[in-house]
Amino acid sequence: MSWAAHQFEVYAVEAHLPKKMVGQVSWFAIFFGDFTPDFLAKFWVYGFNFHGRHYGATKPYQWHRGWPGMGISHTLFFGIMCCLGIWAWKHNRAWTIGFLLGFSAHVLTDVNDSIGTMLLFPFSTLNWSLHTWAYAATVKGGKYLDAAAYYSSLGFAMDFFWFIVVLGSWRVLTRDFWRTKVVPADPHVWSWLGQWLDERGLLALYRSVFFYGVCRMIAWTTWAHVVARPVINGVRHEGYPWDLSWTGPWWVQHVTLPHTSPLIVLPVALFLLGCVYFVAITIWDRMESGSIKAIAWRNVRRNTR
Amino acid sequence: MPEPTRPSPPSPEPSPNRRPARTAWVPSKWVDVVLYVTAGVTYIGFSIYNKWLLDWIVGPAWLIAWVWGVPALYNLVRRRPVRPRRSPFEAR
Repeated sequence: MSWAAHQFEVYAVEAHLPKKMVGQVSWFAIFFGDFTPDFLAKFWVYGFNFHGRHYGATKPYQWHRGWPGMGISHTLFFGIMCCLGIWAWKHNRAWTIGFLLGFSAHVLTDVNDSIGTMLLFPFSTLNWSLHTWAYAATVKGGKYLDAAAYYSSLGFAMDFFWFIVVLGSWRVLTRDFWRTKVVPADPHVWSWLGQWLDERGLLALYRSVFFYGVCRMIAWTTWAHVVARPVINGVRHEGYPWDLSWTGPWWVQHVTLPHTSPLIVLPVALFLLGCVYFVAITIWDRMESGSIKAIAWRNVRRNTR
Repeated sequence: MPEPTRPSPPSPEPSPNRRPARTAWVPSKWVDVVLYVTAGVTYIGFSIYNKWLLDWIVGPAWLIAWVWGVPALYNLVRRRPVRPRRSPFEAR
């Protein structure tokens, strides 16, 4: 799994929207799209302890990304189903397309760990994984071992890469960008929030996901390498050892699910990413009439009450 | 029967007993930067030793509490308005 990368993706997607969608795709939709897969699956991955008993998945990796399990939450198929639901409910292209882009970013980023995602579900239940770093969520190790392994491996490099991508598009974090590109795409939500928060508060809310990503990256890395004193194979270490080799770190048990050859994963993932953007661009204009009709009908209903 | 008198228009001069409306304190750009930086430093500092703070609700809430909440608290103590009188997106 990826950690802060999922927070940075939201801004990377917002900053790199196709030209005709700039200022028209909901930032909240991108955020919720990126957030939904783990929101649905991750709670049970780590589980919780109550009265000395652990409640959670017995095989976290199977539950998180496999089939049977909640692996469906990390498939493009599920994302498309959600988008169809949003469109049927609200006829709002800003939210439908935003959700699609955010969801796709999450699913495609997660092919990097050793479990990967079922990219071609429901046609295939094979997982697609690049094995860039080891999937480390275990019943015994829980969230802390998972974090330590991620921030000792190429997962850290992944987070840092996305951080640099956002910094490269730093304007996405400015007040001006937020006011001219983000608020107009979602005027009702921002206006509703404006009942309680002034402009500085709303801007802080917009930046808060990036803030959380940066802070969790620094905090977990510092904890894993400076504060923690783990015992690995009977040897006490001053911090978890770094291992920036492929499928690292060496000190976690490697788990996998039935998967395709890693060699074809990157081209297929990039192809699917291209397909998502192509479909979004193609249907964007056609969705406009649906959005306008929905707004008109809403106004008619309001006026006849 | 006396004729009803029209109510007199309000005086343009504020009466000596009425205080002018107090406006909320708005931090300058540099105070804003300091608020963001201190929010990050405190959040990272606390969360390294209290890892439960590293949560997707606590993290964003921490920033909002710091950047919006601290000036709001200051305004509250000084008995100045905290909530916006109108939405920031209304026409000015």
